[in-house]
Amino acid sequence: MPVSFTADLDAVARPWLKTIGLAGGRARQAAPLWLLADVPAAIAFAAGLALSIDALAIDALPRGLAAAAPWLVLIAAAALARGLLARRAAEAGAKAAAGVKARARHEAVAAILGHGVARRTGGEALSAAVEGVEALDGHISRFMPARLASALAPLLIIAAIAVATPVAAAILLLTLIPFGLVMALAGGAAAEESRRQFLALERLSSLFLDRVRALPVVLAFQAEGAVTRDLSLAAEDLARRTIRVLRVAFLSSGALEFFAALSVALVAVYCGFNLLRLLPFPVPEQLDLKRAFFALALAPEVYAPLRRLAAAYHDRQAAEAAAQTLAALPAPAPAPPLVTFKAPPALRFQAVTVAYGVGETPVFEGFDLDVAPGEVVALLGPSGSGKTTLLNLLLGLAPLSGGEVLVGDRRLSHLGSIAAAVAWAGQSPLVLPGTLADNLALAWPTAARDQLEQVARIVGLAQVLDGRGGLDARLDERGAGLSGGERRRLSLARAMLKPATILLLDEPTADLDAASELALLPVIRQAAEGRTTLIATHSEVLAALADRVVRL
Amino acid sequence: MALLIRQQRRRHADGLRLAAASAAVVGAATVLLLGLSGWFLTGAAIAGLAGLASAQAFNVLLPSAGIRLLAILRTAFRYLERLSGHAAALKALAAIRPALFASLAASPPAQALALSRGEASARLVQDIDAVETRFIRLSAPWGAGAAVAAGLAMAAPAGWAPALVVAVAVAGAVTSAHWLARRLNARTGPALQRAAGALKDALAAHAAAAPELRVYGAQDRAAEEVEALGRALDDLKRQAVAAQGWLAVLQGLILGLAVALTLAFAHAAAAPLAAMAGLAAAMALEGLGGLGKAFEQDAGAQAAAQRLDEVLVHAPATPDAPAAPDRPSLSFGDLVLEPGSRLVLTGPSGCGKTTVLERLLALRLSNSDHPRESGDPSGLGPLTAERGRKLGLGPRFRGDDRRVGLRLEIDGQPVEALDVQILRPAFAHAPQDAALIAGTVRANLRLAGDHAETALWDALADAALETRVRALPQGLDTWIGENGERLSGGERRRLSLARALLRDAPWLLLDEPTEGLDPATEALVVQRLDVRLKRTGQGLVLVSHRAAPRALCDQQLPIAPPRAIG
Repeated sequence: MPVSFTADLDAVARPWLKTIGLAGGRARQAAPLWLLADVPAAIAFAAGLALSIDALAIDALPRGLAAAAPWLVLIAAAALARGLLARRAAEAGAKAAAGVKARARHEAVAAILGHGVARRTGGEALSAAVEGVEALDGHISRFMPARLASALAPLLIIAAIAVATPVAAAILLLTLIPFGLVMALAGGAAAEESRRQFLALERLSSLFLDRVRALPVVLAFQAEGAVTRDLSLAAEDLARRTIRVLRVAFLSSGALEFFAALSVALVAVYCGFNLLRLLPFPVPEQLDLKRAFFALALAPEVYAPLRRLAAAYHDRQAAEAAAQTLAALPAPAPAPPLVTFKAPPALRFQAVTVAYGVGETPVFEGFDLDVAPGEVVALLGPSGSGKTTLLNLLLGLAPLSGGEVLVGDRRLSHLGSIAAAVAWAGQSPLVLPGTLADNLALAWPTAARDQLEQVARIVGLAQVLDGRGGLDARLDERGAGLSGGERRRLSLARAMLKPATILLLDEPTADLDAASELALLPVIRQAAEGRTTLIATHSEVLAALADRVVRL
Repeated sequence: MALLIRQQRRRHADGLRLAAASAAVVGAATVLLLGLSGWFLTGAAIAGLAGLASAQAFNVLLPSAGIRLLAILRTAFRYLERLSGHAAALKALAAIRPALFASLAASPPAQALALSRGEASARLVQDIDAVETRFIRLSAPWGAGAAVAAGLAMAAPAGWAPALVVAVAVAGAVTSAHWLARRLNARTGPALQRAAGALKDALAAHAAAAPELRVYGAQDRAAEEVEALGRALDDLKRQAVAAQGWLAVLQGLILGLAVALTLAFAHAAAAPLAAMAGLAAAMALEGLGGLGKAFEQDAGAQAAAQRLDEVLVHAPATPDAPAAPDRPSLSFGDLVLEPGSRLVLTGPSGCGKTTVLERLLALRLSNSDHPRESGDPSGLGPLTAERGRKLGLGPRFRGDDRRVGLRLEIDGQPVEALDVQILRPAFAHAPQDAALIAGTVRANLRLAGDHAETALWDALADAALETRVRALPQGLDTWIGENGERLSGGERRRLSLARALLRDAPWLLLDEPTEGLDPATEALVVQRLDVRLKRTGQGLVLVSHRAAPRALCDQQLPIAPPRAIG
């Protein structure tokens, strides 16, 4: 990974960041403009300083404080203006970041909720959508505006100094050239090293998180000592390698500091000798105090935008690391088309091949099966034989890699999915936060309340209804307190409520003990009445209620 | 935590002191450089106007040498500060995480387990990050302090009034930044955390149901719900930025007034001194610009350290713990199992069979239920009341207080009274959710202790996983991803079983070891298990709905269903 890291970054993360950045809208341009608007304010501040010192120092009339007063007011006003402009820049940056984050989140959520293949979404994808999206914030709100402003602001400041003293301006310009060279030579290496260090730290963090999450197992195996040692080795290794790396990584900050200090020193010494008329070489200008002081007061501002940029560099690294994960999220599959069948259709699988990825062993190859309209077929087979895949194929959750499935007279290869025409009880029936009624009506939002209650009782959820206060009982986060069996029943209820002509049941009686399973059989038989039905199961008892059993 | 940080600060005191001293040099040099330059310029201008003689009398060597020296000091010490500060911090941090993990592992089960899940563990890591960031920034106050001191020193020659102005302005800037940071942390901080938590919870819930949502055509509704929570979070963020923005305005105002007033009060002094005072005031106050953010981070880090403190007060277990009995007997209520017996726990789903196993392992207190509900890909389990309180989530998150009151004893001692150092050596556990660690197959097996290569393969063979692992590109050293996501559900379960088989313990606790396996594989696993148990003389406590593994057991114990859910 470290080898391909930079390549990945250039090929994936940066273009992705650029594209997503467009979602910032007009605020994206506003933020650097506010930062650039700080340049005139900085010039006004320096001018105020120079003119008030001049008024205090030089014998002129009116002398002293009275003469300096307007310039003192200018100083205060300019400093206040700089504060206000910084606030506007921060607000514009935050607005742009909010736009970008909303877009990135939209895409990540769509990818997570809309992935075409029924595989588990790892915790990695989830944290990408929350923490990863959040990590874009600093990049958009601080780094990008700072970078745009830093390209122009130093030159604007130097131009302003040139009005007062062209030679000092030339000196400042000359310090920018070696600075640029050093950054071009060492900056790349330093940035690369510090990026690696950042990534290594991230990895250590995720290692720690993983071991904390695996704590029950670690404790049960009394492996806490071994795991602590592993963590400690990884952390020490990281520290050792990082310290080596930092010597290079900090070169760029050293260079920035050097040229910032050098520019001030050079301007001060040049102006001082010019004022004393002691310069050892001829110059085309003779400075006075206000022009010299103006140049001196403004000189630190030349490198200030670059410092701001360096301070935001960490934001960029965080965003790039996050972008790599976010850009790798799969594109969401299109929503299933709206198809309906008035009467139960026949299902004909013709030489069907399903392979999840190129080069992976197909789950099916040349599979044939005819299901008559209204027939109930049980699919039995060892785990991994593809029972769930067969159901997922119809729902568009598994790819049709070869062959054809005819649903009535429609072709699955054209439709992609017949989910809209299917009542389905899936294998991991999770519960959404909300009321019991919301959860029951998920498949058929227009179902009447008495119908919901009736079906809930039929599938054996009476205990939940009575014990928790009816349909309006709130199922708390992720349905805590519902047992595995109760979740299966909820899923079955959903499938029963949806008046579709095809019924797909995936292990409807897993997680249930034998007695509960027996009690549910007539319910399932009733649900299958008048629908073309496929039931994937391990249970021979359940398979026995089907019109036909197909062994895979 | 505070103790841990203090220890590490002491151990790396040299590096940290060097970093602080360097930061102070940089801070002071920055202010001195500009102040000295201002004094030099003004003096030079006056001398220059007065004619060649006074210009030549003006001592140019000292100030110009000083200016160059300060520029070099600034560069060298900036590099030194960053290098020594980061090096010391990194070395210290290398010790903090392992220490935290050890302490977490030693805390009472309810606490350790509550923190091992979902939001709480993510939060734990964020808290550690916050504390670490602060460690790296330990030298910053020294830099700011030295800058202020230099500013005061340069304002003082112009008179007591300019110095007083600088002092008051610095005090004002510090106080206002501190006040605002505290306000933000007290108000916006928790609101932001709540909003982020709500977003993550909703997303996790919906993500787990993604296929269903698609099939039901409800994914747009779900996505909209999640995105609305995201927008709420963004709005809060923008409000926080707007509030922080006022600090920038206030600091700008303070800086402007301070510089103007310094110059005004210094008008009576010699002009070069006034110039020096004015520039020094500007630079010293500018050095405080990042103060608001620093205070905010510090307050955040303090809160984080406090939260870590609350949960991490437990010293790792001492190695000289009481020796565990060699082959203990188990009793479940009145049923006593001699070593080597085989028992299956029966009962309808949801009656608490898994709970019994977890109580034996001290992985759950008898009054906390479902700490690891399965079927939850992200590991974001339900919130218990205790966690809810700890996370400041209010009473919405109720714990479930079903009790499983079965009396459990080991060698006649109730398990609740026994030390984990006696309990856990007695058992090898294959949990229901087959939790794996991110790493290789070997790393997962190594949790069961160090074993010879052949023993690893034997265990894999007994779990019917040997062929599969041999076919993996790097065999035992293949990376299997986060919670074994590169394996199928059945393979994860069998790897978890192999790990339990490897562990040298008198009792095997197997929770649905063959769920999701086809009958042929299941039969193979059960037959191998039978052989293995006969060979090792280990006892078995099984939880399973399936007939094949239950046939292994000669005794069964029905678990009473819990009282009605409510």
